[in-house]
Amino acid sequence: MRTAIRRHGVVLAAALLVFAIGGCNRGHDGDDTAKAPIAQAETGGSLKGDFGPPQGPDVQAVLTSPPMVPPPTGRHKPAHVIVELDVIEKEMPISEGVTYTFWTFGGTVPGSFIRVRQGDTVTFHLRNMPDSKMPHNIDLHGVTGPGGGAASSFTAPGHVSRFTFKALNAGLFVYHCATAPVGMHIANGMYGLILIEPPEGLPPVDHEYYVMQGDFYTTGKYREKGHQPFDMEKAIDERPTYVLFNGSEGALTGDKALKAKVGDTVRLYVGNGGPNLVSSFHVIGEIFDKVWLEGGTRFQENVQTTLIPSGGAAIMQFHLEVPGSYVMVDHSIFRAFNKGAIAILKADGPENKAIYSGKEVDAMYLGDRAAPNLAAVATAATAHEAGTLTQEDQVKAGQALFAGTCSTCHQPNGEGMAGVFPPLAKSSVLAANPKRIVEIMMHGLNGPITVNGKEFNSTMPAQTQLTDDEIANIGTYVLNSWGNPGGRITKEEVAERRKAPPPADAASGGE
Amino acid sequence: MRRNAALLSLLLPVAAALAGGAGPATKGGYVSLPGGHFRTALKYEDRKNGVAVAPFALMQKPVTNAEFLAFVQAHPQWRRDRVASVLAEPAYLSHWSRPDALGPRALPQQPVTQVSWFAAKAYCQAQHARLPSWDEWEYAAAADETRRDARKDPAWRERILGWYSRPSSGPLPRAGLQAPNAYGVQDLHGLVWEWTGDFSSLLVDGDNRNQGDGDKSKFCGAGALSMDDRENYAVLMRVAMLSSLQAADTTANLGFRCAKDLQ
Amino acid sequence: MTRTKTLRAGLACVLLATTAVIAAPVAQAPLPKDSVYQLPARLTDQQGRQFDWSTRRGTPQVVAMFYTSCQFTCPLIVNSGKAVEHALTPAQQRGLGILLISMDPRRDTPAALKSVVRKRGLDTARWTLASPRPADVSGVAGVLGVRYRQLADGDFNHTSALLLLDREGRIVARTEQVGSVLEPAFLTAVKAAVAR
Repeated sequence: MRTAIRRHGVVLAAALLVFAIGGCNRGHDGDDTAKAPIAQAETGGSLKGDFGPPQGPDVQAVLTSPPMVPPPTGRHKPAHVIVELDVIEKEMPISEGVTYTFWTFGGTVPGSFIRVRQGDTVTFHLRNMPDSKMPHNIDLHGVTGPGGGAASSFTAPGHVSRFTFKALNAGLFVYHCATAPVGMHIANGMYGLILIEPPEGLPPVDHEYYVMQGDFYTTGKYREKGHQPFDMEKAIDERPTYVLFNGSEGALTGDKALKAKVGDTVRLYVGNGGPNLVSSFHVIGEIFDKVWLEGGTRFQENVQTTLIPSGGAAIMQFHLEVPGSYVMVDHSIFRAFNKGAIAILKADGPENKAIYSGKEVDAMYLGDRAAPNLAAVATAATAHEAGTLTQEDQVKAGQALFAGTCSTCHQPNGEGMAGVFPPLAKSSVLAANPKRIVEIMMHGLNGPITVNGKEFNSTMPAQTQLTDDEIANIGTYVLNSWGNPGGRITKEEVAERRKAPPPADAASGGE
Repeated sequence: MRRNAALLSLLLPVAAALAGGAGPATKGGYVSLPGGHFRTALKYEDRKNGVAVAPFALMQKPVTNAEFLAFVQAHPQWRRDRVASVLAEPAYLSHWSRPDALGPRALPQQPVTQVSWFAAKAYCQAQHARLPSWDEWEYAAAADETRRDARKDPAWRERILGWYSRPSSGPLPRAGLQAPNAYGVQDLHGLVWEWTGDFSSLLVDGDNRNQGDGDKSKFCGAGALSMDDRENYAVLMRVAMLSSLQAADTTANLGFRCAKDLQ
Repeated sequence: MTRTKTLRAGLACVLLATTAVIAAPVAQAPLPKDSVYQLPARLTDQQGRQFDWSTRRGTPQVVAMFYTSCQFTCPLIVNSGKAVEHALTPAQQRGLGILLISMDPRRDTPAALKSVVRKRGLDTARWTLASPRPADVSGVAGVLGVRYRQLADGDFNHTSALLLLDREGRIVARTEQVGSVLEPAFLTAVKAAVAR
């Protein structure tokens, strides 16, 4: 009986659709507006979202840790889905050398990604680990019912709560802990996403990724080392110390950058746990072909930057035409470069000069603050303080710095430019006096110089922005690259040499 | 004979003066608190203007593993292998190596944890004492080392929040390590959560967002407590904790201490 | 001659044994650890009779906590008890006890309890309204999972629940839905409990 009604319903809906489209076309000859997604009939929301009792065997929900997303459910009928989610309080790094006690769903910030289908009946088990200090609960924005489940899931440490709900509305929803004080529980990382697929599922793509922005409040300053406690006053005053994707600086950069290939279509499920800030989400170098605004049913097309409310989400999709590092930011831009709101999607594949001819985005855009391999520089700094700095550390750090500072002129392979910039590769000047590289960086070089038999006569400005250890690292890198004599320059050496008066051929630039 | 009496009559006042001058009186591990009018963070509708706390005595430190072991040995019906499950859940004293011995994971001077409200109540009754009420506990806990009511000081709040933000993975410190507060009581903050006699009267909506939206049929009568006082969130987190528990529950961070009426 | 004597002796033995068996109380199996009766609680009912609630062992009970001056939910609790009654056959009714325990023993004297019994026309063959000793109220509420707070004016804030205890005093069903309309699952559990 019910299936018959549903079938009739589908026919009715289809008929309505035809009418709607037909109606639109009647007035506009040769006009394509009828095909625009916004002209579709309503889905009917929760009133039409109950597809009846669950059928078939129980399904154990597959939960994934960020940035991965569970596979599509592939279901066509409502099911009984069992979700088991643990609450774990744990200390994790929030930035290099900085730790924080996070309260997590599933051991990660954001918490595990849950994926079900509209009409599913979900039995939710919330388990609070025995060594937790606090009671916790969960409010899923996709739940219709008191507190979104929070009232029924209040769980003391070492105990488990269970409640059941039917997913009546499709969409991408935030879930979070709602135990007093709610702001603190959210600020400590207790949020995640639940995707309630529309009944027909989402169109397939090559990659789906899970990204969630959050603001964090510590008593110490940004990047102040050591264990940092939560600062309630800063949270109330909405003055975050960190604004991060997926719970820590570097969570999605360097080796942990998201990966794709040229020609792929990528879909991002992006949430904003807050607790306070709204996100202006943008991917540098890409345009969102489709944005399901606020995680809802309709999509907009051709969007550069989309707003994701605090406690909200959005789905965006784009096709990759050229390789490179695509940097995701909150375009309230000081959050990206001074609070850590940066993530990277690395696309590999053949160049397509017709679409984009220039250099890789990251060499131009990131400056020295947010380069994905800044880790090498930080490692070297830490190692130097600990007294364990190796030549290899220096070479790695120097390489990163060289890319940001020197390669523009001397080229990434040290070849220089004929008649303009001397080569550094197999340099006769360095062969004669390797340590001279220190003075050249420190004071610049003015006037004629012969390198590898060719004459150059120009001015290299003094690199006054470089610190002693940066000069030491870059110098060590250059001396050990491209057939140069090798050797090592220490920070102390550079400091010593800085005390001496500048050489005769110093450039006058800088001071 | 008369000389002794004279000596005694000299010594007694001195002794009394010494006792009085050495800080709050301690008798068998209890400290006396004067009570009085108290502005509580639990702003129920029927006590918006504070409460009166009668003078009472409070244990200086939470009950330790060693003390609780002595109790279990004297009252074997409270051994974990004999106790009724309606009075203590399976995790009761699970960190002890044996029902009648502590073992390496339960050092004698650590506060006893994994104890249910029924067990705590029974221990206090055996001492001719009782569990403190929430009001008494909050009143005693409002003090820091020098002031009886330090709650307006953000530093007091920060210290409490600091404990919440430290993970539980480290070992539990001994009872009595902290400096006593202005009343002479130790370890009210930063060690373990503590049972109160009336924990189940902390009628809190598990969902914090229903500010003052009393669901009349859920808590028959006036609305549930709304916890929105930003100055007291540190204290109110304790309320959240206690309100999440049933009387037979235990947790790894929950202990207790006893109180006595003062005549 | 000897055989009759042995027979008589044997008969005497059997008679003695049977009498002994009949006279002595049946040695009860120990009370299960998850029975609420593990908590001693001395109650005084509407007739002034005092008893430990463990004497209810042997008959399934529908239990709730209330107080007589409660205006709002407690009348609904009585309605729930009546709804259970009406849903049972007379035979089933005979196998069930309905026990309402007051959280306000100071005011809920036997007289106060009796007036509720009269006003609501409760059949005392099944219904018992009783007050614990003041010091025992929190313990009883603790094992039943009821939360309550006395207000300044003597009224109470409290959660409401109907519990089903089996013959041994174990909680086998619980519903927070009070009033004339019962949660179907709870009613099913009551019927199953009185059947066994």
